[in-house]
Amino acid sequence: MTSLTLKRVRLDWSGIAFAVILTLVIIGPLVVVATWAFTEVWRYPNIIPQKFGFRFWGQTLGRPDVWNALMLSLKLSTVVTLLSALICLPAAYAFARMKFPGRDILFFSFLAGHAFPKFGLLVAIAAIFLQLNLIGTFWGVVLIQLVGTLMFMIWIPVAAFQAVDRRMEEAARDVGASPLRVFWSITLPQAGPTIFAAVLLSFVGTFYETEGAWLIGAPGIRTMPVLMISYINNQMVIQYGAVLSVLLWVPSFIALMFARRVIGGGAFARGFGG
Amino acid sequence: MSEFVERAVSVSTETAAGRRSIGLLLVAIPVFLVIWLVIWPAINAISRTIWRTDADGSSSFDLSSYAFFFSDRYSLDNLAVTLWTTLVCAVLLLVICLPIALYLRFSHGRLPAYVQALAILPMFVPSIILAFACIRVLGPNGMVDILLNAVGLPKIRTPYLTPWGPVIGLVWDNIPLTVLILLSGLGSVANQSIEAARDVGANTIRVFWHIILPRISNSILVALSFSVLGIFSSFTLPYLLGPASPEMLGPFMQRTLRDVQDPIGAMTQAVVAFGFCILFGLFYVRSVARNRGK
Repeated sequence: MTSLTLKRVRLDWSGIAFAVILTLVIIGPLVVVATWAFTEVWRYPNIIPQKFGFRFWGQTLGRPDVWNALMLSLKLSTVVTLLSALICLPAAYAFARMKFPGRDILFFSFLAGHAFPKFGLLVAIAAIFLQLNLIGTFWGVVLIQLVGTLMFMIWIPVAAFQAVDRRMEEAARDVGASPLRVFWSITLPQAGPTIFAAVLLSFVGTFYETEGAWLIGAPGIRTMPVLMISYINNQMVIQYGAVLSVLLWVPSFIALMFARRVIGGGAFARGFGG
Repeated sequence: MSEFVERAVSVSTETAAGRRSIGLLLVAIPVFLVIWLVIWPAINAISRTIWRTDADGSSSFDLSSYAFFFSDRYSLDNLAVTLWTTLVCAVLLLVICLPIALYLRFSHGRLPAYVQALAILPMFVPSIILAFACIRVLGPNGMVDILLNAVGLPKIRTPYLTPWGPVIGLVWDNIPLTVLILLSGLGSVANQSIEAARDVGANTIRVFWHIILPRISNSILVALSFSVLGIFSSFTLPYLLGPASPEMLGPFMQRTLRDVQDPIGAMTQAVVAFGFCILFGLFYVRSVARNRGK
C-alpha cells in the first residue's frame, strides 16, 4: 500500500512536468498566433502588444482574394465530400454486407496510397495530369483530394455497417419490412453517427489539404491554405496571416469535437496500424 | 426506372451471381480511382523514367535521369538533408513520445487526461497554421526572442530557414499519431506481468527493458514507419520553414515539376523517394492490414 502511494506521488510529478512542458510547447505557439490576430500595434521588444483591436479583421475580410479563396475552399470541400460520400458509402455497404470475388484484396487495395511517401505519389499523379491538361483546373484538384478521402470514407463506414445488429434487421424483415425500409429505419440510424463523423472529417481534411492543391492547382486554383502560403512567403502584414489562422481554426474546432467519438478507445490508432 | 430497380432487386435476391455483380458494381468506382490515381501513377513514374522516349520517337532502356540524380551535387545534397531530417525527427519523436505514452499508460486521473488531450491536439492544427506559429515564436524577433530579451538574455540563433526549422515543425506535427500508436501498443502489456517482475525485484529500467520493450517493439516500428513515410516527402513545413538550399525532396520535386518544368526529373526524384521508403511502406501496410484482419 505504501509503495502504491509513493508511486502515485512520483507519477504526479512527471505528470506535472509533462503538462507544463506540453502546455508551453503545444498551446504556447497557438496563443501567440491568436494574440497577433487581435493586435493593432506590437513592436519588439514589448512582451504584450501596445494596442489590441479588430482593425485587421476588417482589413483581412475586406480583401477580395480572401473571399475568393474562402468560397473556393468551401466549394471544393463540398464537391469532394459529396462525391466521396456518393461513391464510397455504397462501396462501404458492399464491403460490409455482400460477398463478391476479390472482396478482401479490393478492400485492402485502399491501403496502397499509404505505402508510398505521399508527396512523391502526388508528383507522380501530377505528371499524369500534366498530359491530361488537368493542372491548374478545379477538377484536377477535386480528383487529387478525392483520392485522399477514399480510405477514411470506406474504412470507417465499413466498421459502422459491421457494428449494426444483424438480428434487428432480420427481425424487421420477418415482420414484412422491405429491404429499403430496413436500411432506412434500422441500419442507417445505427451506423449514421459514425458515418457522419467520417463525412465531417473528410470535409475538414479536404478544407485543409494543402499539398495537392498547391502542386496541382497552382496558379489558377487558390484555396485558403494556398493563399496562406503566399501570405507567409511574401511576408505581408503579420496580422493578415494571424487573422486567417484564427478563421481557419473554426472548422478544426468542429472536427475536434466530433472526432472524439471516432478517436475514442484506441480504435483510431489501430486503424493507423498501432 | 422502377422496373429496372425491381428487376435488379429480384435478380439480386434470386441468384448469387447477380448479388456478386452488384457488390462489384458498388465498389467499382473507388477501386478504379485507386488503380488510376495511386497504382498507375507509381508504375507510370517508374516506367517513364527507366524506359525513355528519344527525340525520334523510339523508346529504349535508359537510366540517365538516375545517373544524373546520383551524380548531381545539388540533388545529392537535397537527398542528404532529407535523410538527415527524417533520421533526426524519428529519433526525437521516439525520445519525446515514448515517455509520454508510458506515462499515459500507467496513470489514471485528470492530469493524464489533460496531458493526452495536449498530445493529441496537434492533429487538429493544420500544418499551415503550425508553420505560421513557428515563425512567430521562433523566427527573428519572435516570442522566444521577446521573452529572452525581457530577462536580459541574448537572442537565440533562429532555426527558421535552417534545417532545424522543418525538424521542429515535423516533430510537433507527428507527436499525436506517434503517441496514439505507442499507447495502443502499450495496451497489450499486462499489469500482472509488470507486477510479477517487480515482485522478483526488477527495477524500473529492467522492467522497461525486459518486459515492456519486447512487447511494444512492433508498435515502435509501426510508429516509426508512419512518421518516416510522412516526413521523408513532406512538403508544406520544409517549404515554409526550411532553407532554400539544400532543400528537402518535397520542395525539390515541386520545384522541378512546376518551376523547372521537368516532369522526368521530378518523377525520378519521386521514384528515388519510393525506393528509400519502400521497406517502411510495406511494413506499415502489412501491420495495418494484419490489425484490420483480426
